[in-house]
Amino acid sequence: MFFNSLAFAIFLPIVFFLYWFVFNKTKSTQNALLIVASYYFYSCWDWRFLFLLVFSTFLDYYTGIQIEKGKSEQSRKFWFWLSVLVNLGFLGIFKYYNFFATSFSELLNSVGIQASPILLKVILPVGISFYTFHGLSYVIDIYYKRIKAEYNFVDYSLFVSYFPLLVAGPIERATHLLPQVKVKREFDLEKAKEGVCQIIWGLVKKVIIADTCATYANAIFDNYTSMNSFSLILGAVYFAFQIYGDFSGYSDIALGVSKLFGLDLLRNFNYPYFSRDIAEFWRRWHISLSSWFRDYLYIPLGGSKGGIWMKIRNTFIIFVVSGFWHGANWTYITWGFINAIYFLPLLLRNSNRNNIDEIKVTWNLDSVKVIVSILTTFLITCVAWVFFRARTISDAVLYLKRIVTNRDFAFQFLENDRYNYELLLMIGIFVLVEWNNRTKVEPLSGKNSMLKIALAILAIMAFGTFSDYKEFIYFQF
Amino acid sequence: MKRFLIYLVKILFVTIFIAVVLDGLYTAIFMQSKNRGKIEAVINSKAKNYDVVILGSSRANNHFVSQMFEDKGLKTFNYGMSGGHLFEASLMLKLMIERKYEIKNVILEADLNLSNDKESDGVSAKFLPYIHNSEVIKDHFLSQENFNQLYYIPFYRYVKYDSKIGFREIYNITKGESTNALDNQGYYPLAKHKNGNMKNNILNLKPLPHNKYYEEIKSICKANNINFIAVMTPMCENVVGMNYFDKVKKAYPEIHNYENVVIENKYFSSCGHMTDAGAKIFTARILKDFFNK
Repeated sequence: MFFNSLAFAIFLPIVFFLYWFVFNKTKSTQNALLIVASYYFYSCWDWRFLFLLVFSTFLDYYTGIQIEKGKSEQSRKFWFWLSVLVNLGFLGIFKYYNFFATSFSELLNSVGIQASPILLKVILPVGISFYTFHGLSYVIDIYYKRIKAEYNFVDYSLFVSYFPLLVAGPIERATHLLPQVKVKREFDLEKAKEGVCQIIWGLVKKVIIADTCATYANAIFDNYTSMNSFSLILGAVYFAFQIYGDFSGYSDIALGVSKLFGLDLLRNFNYPYFSRDIAEFWRRWHISLSSWFRDYLYIPLGGSKGGIWMKIRNTFIIFVVSGFWHGANWTYITWGFINAIYFLPLLLRNSNRNNIDEIKVTWNLDSVKVIVSILTTFLITCVAWVFFRARTISDAVLYLKRIVTNRDFAFQFLENDRYNYELLLMIGIFVLVEWNNRTKVEPLSGKNSMLKIALAILAIMAFGTFSDYKEFIYFQF
Repeated sequence: MKRFLIYLVKILFVTIFIAVVLDGLYTAIFMQSKNRGKIEAVINSKAKNYDVVILGSSRANNHFVSQMFEDKGLKTFNYGMSGGHLFEASLMLKLMIERKYEIKNVILEADLNLSNDKESDGVSAKFLPYIHNSEVIKDHFLSQENFNQLYYIPFYRYVKYDSKIGFREIYNITKGESTNALDNQGYYPLAKHKNGNMKNNILNLKPLPHNKYYEEIKSICKANNINFIAVMTPMCENVVGMNYFDKVKKAYPEIHNYENVVIENKYFSSCGHMTDAGAKIFTARILKDFFNK
């Protein structure tokens, strides 16, 4: 059941009605309803993986309590490592085993030892990377005594399985979401209206920007050997907007839906393509994952303490691991590595926190500098996206090489009967709308909201891509 | 909560209003379209006279050279549609009859398409803009599973099939941009394809014993005194499961088997589609067998 499907359009109003009109007596009834709805939502993909979700939830719930109750450090450590190893074990088996087995076998073959890997025929349970990280952060926080263990199983289950964030985040923290599910939610008109605006804007990003860009990006990436330089550049730009529209659109819908139930989720995107350097980009892109890695990997590794080499080592580790989190493929690892390289000059000059203020542009020379730095950051981000999108690293290298060597900048007719340049106007309008609203969560709320909503609905209907349906990219992670 | 529900009702009303307006606008634009494809050309046309009308899929569209019929003095148009099934061929013929076309002969390519009586989404979508303006189209879609959504929900059909009848198509119609679908009296010649797929496996195909739309075309022809000629058209020599054509012959003895009239790979662009040269050999044979006065 996708957020932009008819099934979800039926499911959501039913749950909303039951939540506020039937199960609104206490927070327990509200939570119980949301749990049932969440498990139903998840089972719509594959009911068998529901067992995995429930097991994972129970494991972290139980080990969390045992860690807190542990009388000795040894006992606390035991339950902590049990939870971490089982969680990572699931992730390892379902997501990474085949990758490691294949890579190891290729390595053996390359040194002359014949080996054929034993591969598992398993499908990746949707959302496993997200709910595993929910559970891990919870257990780690209890172990380091940042939070208390949750003794109410329903409340804890809701924190892990809450349907708006279950399959593609944002990756929530117990410190943020659990306190909200511990109290009865009262209906808040303004919050609900904000939620509706965010859902509609999320749909704009998904069906107009992401899915339309995907049509062009796929036609270019899948046939890159016959594309000219101009098409290849556009292909990278289209993919940049595809993945942004897709993932941030999904996050917007998740946040908006959650607001309808009176629950605030962590903001996941903050106009990342307006970043002035790569450090700022990573503070604005998939914020819940970046901050997760910062808090649970970078800082435990020593963070920025211990000299410049430690800083560099830790930075490379979190970027490469972040790449690997996205998928079991060398292309994702390379993408993470490239981002670490981008980050390096900022780290060495200690300027990675230079751009934390609001972006202001007026008619002066400084603003030209700001715009150039935004465009430069976007450009290098697009180069990295080529590795993310390409099937193999060599495909990505050849793609980039062809941009430089082909030098043909003519309009090109693509395999899908469209011209390569057709989307530029639409992307331009989208960028302008986001730029003018970059201080807000989304552009639809505020003054003349109903008019803006009407225009957004008109745009979704007239310009959206529906028949050539594409799944949300991050569902595969 | 009451205020929020009113807010939602307002959004719902706005959505329905936009859907109705867009539906009316798109339909009005499609009603003006004449040079984009064969379906629009028939729908927005008046009575015509034809000696020969050709119907079927791409294996009709690429195989019957209309000009060769014309050279024999037969007014002909090839209404074969790439990707189309018999569902669409039947509807096309019904529309011609509705528009009072006088047709003497219908040649129907009936071979691989006999294996199903389902609609072909990509082609049938192009009839949908006119569903409220033609009883024939409405009745034809009545048996389809999603008829109610397509007919009663404003703008639903344009959203569902946006790649075929959505904004891009509207833009092209408004711009007056034509396609090549109506060139060469509907015949679309193919060139030899360097990477054309010259292997085909039709082992799993089975002709339906009573294809609903084949029978429908046959009975429309009978009711309107149209001479009905059903033919199987050639495939390349590397087809696995060639006995499919024998099964068709067994189930439908009246269909003429021309599958092996052209067999050499050099005459094929891909295994199921002949080149222009192959199509000319095939058409010459059809003319000789059926129109040799």
